[in-house]
Amino acid sequence: MPFLFALLFLAQDYSHRGFVETRTALYPQAASNDASHAVGEALLRHESFYQPFEGVEVAGAVDVRMDTHHQTERQWRIDWRDRTLQRPALSLRRFSGQIHRGPLTIEAGKQFVRWGRTDVVNPTDRFAPRDFMTVVDSEFLGIAAMRATYERGANTLDVVWSPWFTPSRIPLPNQRWIVTPPDAPVLPVERSVPRGSQAGVRWSHAGFVEFAAAYYSGFDHLPSFGVDASSAAIRQFYPRTHMAGGDVALPAKWFTVKAEAGYFSFPDDRIDEYVLYVVQLERQSGEWFFIGGYGGEIVTRRSGQSTNFNPERGKTRTVLARAGYTIDVNRSVALEAAVRQNLDGAWIRGEYSQAIGQHWRWTAGLSLIRGEPSDFLGQYRRNSHASIAVRYSF
Amino acid sequence: MSRFEIGRIRPIRPICILFLFVGSAAAQDARAIVEEAQKRATSESQRYEGTLRVIDAKNKITEKRWQFDRLGSHGASKSVLKFTAPAEVKGVALLVVNHPDRSSDQWMWTPAIARERRIAMQDRAGRFFGTDFSFEDLEERDTRQFDFRLLAEENLDGAACWKIESRPRQGKISQYTHSYLWIRKENYVVAQIEHYKKTQLVRRARYLDVKNVRGIWTPHTIEMHDLQRNSRTVLKIEQLQYNVPMNESDFTFQAIRREF
Repeated sequence: MPFLFALLFLAQDYSHRGFVETRTALYPQAASNDASHAVGEALLRHESFYQPFEGVEVAGAVDVRMDTHHQTERQWRIDWRDRTLQRPALSLRRFSGQIHRGPLTIEAGKQFVRWGRTDVVNPTDRFAPRDFMTVVDSEFLGIAAMRATYERGANTLDVVWSPWFTPSRIPLPNQRWIVTPPDAPVLPVERSVPRGSQAGVRWSHAGFVEFAAAYYSGFDHLPSFGVDASSAAIRQFYPRTHMAGGDVALPAKWFTVKAEAGYFSFPDDRIDEYVLYVVQLERQSGEWFFIGGYGGEIVTRRSGQSTNFNPERGKTRTVLARAGYTIDVNRSVALEAAVRQNLDGAWIRGEYSQAIGQHWRWTAGLSLIRGEPSDFLGQYRRNSHASIAVRYSF
Repeated sequence: MSRFEIGRIRPIRPICILFLFVGSAAAQDARAIVEEAQKRATSESQRYEGTLRVIDAKNKITEKRWQFDRLGSHGASKSVLKFTAPAEVKGVALLVVNHPDRSSDQWMWTPAIARERRIAMQDRAGRFFGTDFSFEDLEERDTRQFDFRLLAEENLDGAACWKIESRPRQGKISQYTHSYLWIRKENYVVAQIEHYKKTQLVRRARYLDVKNVRGIWTPHTIEMHDLQRNSRTVLKIEQLQYNVPMNESDFTFQAIRREF
């Protein structure tokens, strides 16, 4: 028997990667609800992959965080649901098992599911809640799901079922990325995270023209808000939604044209119904890459009975652009911008990044936000900031 | 039939631009020489671990490592190239599906954003992840996509070679207008390829350290020189294996997302 275990051990395979990163953001202006000018964060991320047998893979990832601004909890417990208002200090970012046999792959557990094809805004990417603690610099959160993918030739069918809901993490109410009017009454917020599962299916085709159709039934991972008159409180809720959409990528002579659109319907008639769409051009030439596009919205039912925190809708009616230049093998610069078509809001970020040796990289960035207080981007006009991040990868 | 057949490999006679490994014959015709070279390099599959040293114009050196798997031979093959180092690019993978009658399809998987992105045709001239190989250089080509012309017989590094001009046929999309190939007479292994854009020499690939592995003479060092940037990438091939059992399902979108 020991001999059998030895053989099993020899057949095993293990791989890992990770990084430690510290990031400092400096805000020259105080916000109405936040007088601090600096935020420091530290993150250790470790990802492990283990293949006990051919065709079976286990993936796990943990995040350990701390910060100066109480965006991270101060209690050391392992969080794996990602439902808390603050970021957990110790989080199980991913833990899933995968079996693949021929064209079929089944993955179960906490994982990342990314749909869609465009950049900046992805209307069909419904299983991808994000951490929007810093609104203009978000990060994806894993979800608990069972995912079956069948890939045959140029066609892929992806079926996802998520037993419970993971909401996006929004900014904390007492910090600068939640902007409240100075004369607004302070009301308590009652947050209700729905129970119930979500499901979706996506079929994609990878021919000369790539395209996909997707359907999702579940909850909006971005919250809506309404005033509950009986308790004089703000009610934060995640409405049930259905999304039908698709995406396409068409290679043309000079650019690749990509488009993505989703129609969002809500049984709750307090919520707007709308179509989100993005059209973009993409090109890489020599050391340059360029993405330019337009994000739009068509409201098919306007309710006016609630408001929401929705950076995706906030970046519609907007010209979007991203460009980058690789200076040499270690250095690069990038520029990203979103400018509202009525010029009521604009966000521009420049970034310089340099690797030092095999493990170290530092990145300096500058985000400039301007606009009107009534605009989604413009409301953050006092949140322009400089940042510097130092990362050690292993 | 779909233009894109990721699940099927057709037997053809191809030319491998980057990894052309060869053997012997007396043919003097340019096409016959190239086809013989490929015939001798043909294998059902290939696997190796590569170490890349990128030496830029200021002599700064960066090192990367990848694992390369190929199933099928040359122009009808599929390959997956996965970075294993440095840490910040570990897991980045490129899936290349070659076609006998047109350019390959390529997709790159980036773990940090959990998405694959198609490398569009017009983007193939771009450098592959900071190396001096372009995306196009990672394709494998069918000889039928090119016209060949025997130019001369020359000595290169002391080895007698045929110098052959290769030009893509009409309709073939390539960043290069033509290339010159030096093929060693002794073993039909490519010794050097120079790639031109009109009259300008833009890249030179040298194939060195030739060893016989399971009957296939194989260069174990490939040096790619980008003459416009004056930058060089030296690829050292280690743990090379031919005819390793591989599955079609290891060359799919799902496969490049996996760590193993």
